[in-house]
Amino acid sequence: MAKATPETRLQPEVLATVTLSFVMDYVLLLQRIFDALFNSAIYSSLALALVIIFRSTGLLNFAQGEMATFSAYIAFVLLSGPQPRLTGGGLAGIIPGVPFTIPLAIIGAVICGMAAGAVTERALIRPLGGASDLALVNITIGLLLAVNSLMAQWWGTGPRFFPAIFPTGAGQHFLIFGARLRYSTVGVWAILLSVLVLLVLLLRHTRAGLGFRAVSISPSNAELVGIRVGPTLMYGWALASGFGALAACLSANSVLLEPSMMLRVLVYAFAAATLGGLDSPKGALVGGLIIGLSQTLIPAYVPFIGFELSVLPALLAMVVILLIRPAGLYGTKRIERV
Amino acid sequence: MIGAEQRLSRMGAFGTAALCLALAVIPFLTTTTSLRQASQIIVSVLAVLGVNVATGYGGMISLGHGVFVGVGAFATGYYVDDLSMPWLLAIALGAVTAGISGALVGLPALRIKGIHLALVTLGLAIVFRPLSKRFPSITGGVSGRSIDARFDAPGWWPGDSRMASSVYRYVFCVLVVLLALWATWNVVNSRFGRSMRALRDNDTAAAVYGIDLVSARVTTFAISAGLTGLCGALQVALVPFVSQDKFPAQESLVIYASAVVGGLGTIWGSVLGVIARTVVGKVGDLVAGFDGLGPVGEFFDLLDDSAFVFGLGLIVLTFLFPGGLAGIGRKDRLRK
Repeated sequence: MAKATPETRLQPEVLATVTLSFVMDYVLLLQRIFDALFNSAIYSSLALALVIIFRSTGLLNFAQGEMATFSAYIAFVLLSGPQPRLTGGGLAGIIPGVPFTIPLAIIGAVICGMAAGAVTERALIRPLGGASDLALVNITIGLLLAVNSLMAQWWGTGPRFFPAIFPTGAGQHFLIFGARLRYSTVGVWAILLSVLVLLVLLLRHTRAGLGFRAVSISPSNAELVGIRVGPTLMYGWALASGFGALAACLSANSVLLEPSMMLRVLVYAFAAATLGGLDSPKGALVGGLIIGLSQTLIPAYVPFIGFELSVLPALLAMVVILLIRPAGLYGTKRIERV
Repeated sequence: MIGAEQRLSRMGAFGTAALCLALAVIPFLTTTTSLRQASQIIVSVLAVLGVNVATGYGGMISLGHGVFVGVGAFATGYYVDDLSMPWLLAIALGAVTAGISGALVGLPALRIKGIHLALVTLGLAIVFRPLSKRFPSITGGVSGRSIDARFDAPGWWPGDSRMASSVYRYVFCVLVVLLALWATWNVVNSRFGRSMRALRDNDTAAAVYGIDLVSARVTTFAISAGLTGLCGALQVALVPFVSQDKFPAQESLVIYASAVVGGLGTIWGSVLGVIARTVVGKVGDLVAGFDGLGPVGEFFDLLDDSAFVFGLGLIVLTFLFPGGLAGIGRKDRLRK
């Protein structure tokens, strides 16, 4: 290497600005990561819902997002009580004691969502038996279309304001290395992690959980040892729909409540679940984290993508994973007998 | 099985005759507006037929065929306006463009199968609108673009009123759709069609019998997308305006639902699916007109939305008639 000439040597003030810009970029990066974490939690919980159902029933529930949105609307009704637009909406008049407080409304919505999930399994999925992929896709797509248009009819297609469960005002954040970590992000993760802990306790330490794990591994063997497969799957659907309902209620404030709000989120969640492995709950969590980060970071650094097109990287990730490693990061490889 | 097909073809001949008669009578009874609507409905058979080829014959579940309608429409608009091509060439090239894009989508479908392919195509349907906004010079961006060229009747066509042009467009669409139906019928009953169905039923066995999986799958998807793209191209010829907000993901799903409700794996199914969608829409319009029925009226308002009816229809038909509307009578016959 030749000796550096005076012209190319960095002047002190240039050095200072370069360092400063690096620091600023670093703060910006941290800020973006913090912002992404909120979405990550949402994608993780919806992906978890998809994984629970895929693991036990072997079907991708395309209607998961719409079922979740429906629960969020129930929370909306519980919160606001009968409204002019809701007259004849069927549900508002028969619910006593509205309006609820936000946490109570969300709990109510999650319970309703779980009930709806259980009913769906009992009424639509179980009677089909081990039908073909095509039949299962038809059922879930039919459900998606019907529920979506039901919501549009009852509550209108316009976006509605859904109150935030955690404070989201201007000053409501922790300052970490100059980046703002919002209370709502921390709160969403706290909820998600505590629900996860509950789920793990349920699966590891209860009889129903043991039964569910057995059915997930092999329904026919589980049946042979006396586990009632049908009701167990029904609980699985209830659990999954509960996760979906939670995801919808927690994100309804930031994406605004409308009938199709979870359709985009569903693609992210599917991408997350595929990335992590469609039958791995741990994978859903990790996948949600990765997809959430990439959804915020890629548009920020690749101008072509922009916010609106941020579905594209998620879709591409999904295709690539399915092409080169269909089992995902943590999923089990499927071996087909011909 | 063979007997069933022969009887079906006798019924098919009767149906074809009835359909052609109805199609021939329509232009004498209506105005330009409703003639345009009739043409649009007839053209939409092609999109459903496209799904039918991919899913019903090829066994590849596609929830994203609205994308190919969009590609066909945008491409035709671009060819006819920006490249000043004649309409016929633009329409043909529009369909070809959609077919090529379909072949590209078909490539990953070589490895991604069944329910996972459904997932990827649904993602495609969702990503199409934001993606098309990124190319405003072709798609007109958010607000869409109107096409300056008009698909009007040529000089030899009798009459030069607006109605005459409407009738010309209608006749053109009807002929193209009938031609496409006939061609598809020939393809699915050809040697290639048999290999398509063999692939659908058991791809390993098909490969053992010497069918080239790669080319068969890609060709099937290309044909399917080309038919669907032709629908988009004709839509532009009928209404010279194209915009991304015509292609939401729900539209793709309704196209898919129409194919399933009509009946997968039969050409008639696609026609029946579109007829069902039209009837449901018209009945819904009629019923929604009545007010003051209270909660019953609310329910009828739901029927107005064909997405709701088709969603329910998908579920009900999957349980009762997995063969769709076209398969209602056939089930018993097969049992004999």
